[in-house]
Amino acid sequence: MNGLGDLRTYNPLVKVLGPVPVMVYVVTTRDVLTPALVALGAFAVLAVAGRQSPRVLAAIAGGAAALTVVMTFSFGLLTDPALVADTTVLATVGGFEVRSGALATGLATAVRTVALMMLVLLGGLTTSGADVVRAMTQQLHLPYRVGYAALAALRFVPRFGHELEVIRGAHRVRGVAPGRGPVVAVRRQAGYVVPLLAGGIRHAERVSLAMDARGFGAHPTRTERTVVPFGARDVVLLLSFWAGAAACAVLAATLTPA
Amino acid sequence: MTSVTTRYLMTCAAIGAALGVLLIPANFVSAPLAAAAPMAYAPMVGLWIIGPVLALALLRRPGAAVLTTFVAGVVSSASPVGVYSIVTCLMAGAAVELAFLVTRYRVWRPWLFFVDALVFGAAYIASGWVAFDMGSMAPVVLVTFVVLMLGSFLACTWLGLFLAGRLARAGVARGLAPARGSATPAEVVPDAAR
Repeated sequence: MNGLGDLRTYNPLVKVLGPVPVMVYVVTTRDVLTPALVALGAFAVLAVAGRQSPRVLAAIAGGAAALTVVMTFSFGLLTDPALVADTTVLATVGGFEVRSGALATGLATAVRTVALMMLVLLGGLTTSGADVVRAMTQQLHLPYRVGYAALAALRFVPRFGHELEVIRGAHRVRGVAPGRGPVVAVRRQAGYVVPLLAGGIRHAERVSLAMDARGFGAHPTRTERTVVPFGARDVVLLLSFWAGAAACAVLAATLTPA
Repeated sequence: MTSVTTRYLMTCAAIGAALGVLLIPANFVSAPLAAAAPMAYAPMVGLWIIGPVLALALLRRPGAAVLTTFVAGVVSSASPVGVYSIVTCLMAGAAVELAFLVTRYRVWRPWLFFVDALVFGAAYIASGWVAFDMGSMAPVVLVTFVVLMLGSFLACTWLGLFLAGRLARAGVARGLAPARGSATPAEVVPDAAR
């Protein structure tokens, strides 16, 4: 059954860029069945090979169902009444007629969005940002200095928290925007933005000096601590993504009454 | 790549990290909001271009917008859309960069940033046209949607420029950006001489 193995061990580029042609195709569909089949297929792959906890899978399924219901109505309301004037009136809410044609348009938009969401989650839940950066430097030949700048930026985030505490303390000591109430609170928060950015950039400049001092970027290539392989199994996964999507399209075409 | 200093790379990384932190909650909110109430989502779309506008206006160097959004995408991949935020962010960064590429990085006046925002906004709405099936929406809804989105892009461009101005006045990135009109030559020390 589990011939696919663990989706997390495949090359990130295949998982992220592989579904993109499928997404473009899904966006152009207007029926309900094709995106529904794509969504179910993507969810099945995620459930079998994604190694996600049952709780996460349940949340995705529940979220998709809720999204479908909410979007059917919200986009149904946005539909131009003139386009669906010849369809039956299902209900009248406060003088506003809910027509079946409007809901059908809303449902198609909803299912399309859910299919896109599933395709995004397929790669998104099984890949970390750092792995994508490593794959980009190793397979796509992104200059490694850019890649490592991005990896270093991930370490800046906890530092922002610390920096914010320092700035808060400094502002409090100097009595910047004192008082209570929502307006003052907003003014106080807005006052943190420029010092926080300035502090972050100055920290980055110190880091860059340290990097230069250690000879970062002195050589055209460098060794990698974490190797992200790209092999035959990645090609197989890529082809099976596209084959699965094509199968969904064919199945939907045969199931739809002409 | 050897022509780009590490200081420039890391400065873009810092701005990108800040934008990325801002985008994590935005990613959480935007997907359900776009689904339930597209009208409430429309004013949010500008958030994605604050970073690239800020970086370009502050550093005035080629590639600053794309680099910043790349880093922002990596940092904000800790959200439901995961690593796709890299693709989303890079698209925004490339769009902001494009206007300056076309003018060969010689024009840095604010009007170019605003024109850029309008053009990108129009292109973004055109792409959303297909996904949201906007052709089937009521005309009043459509006009509100377009006005809110363009307004959001313009307001966030203004915010990016404002923050860049404040940071430049605080002396951040001095010597990294080419000399501004107001700076005296003595103030601008080349990177190597610091």
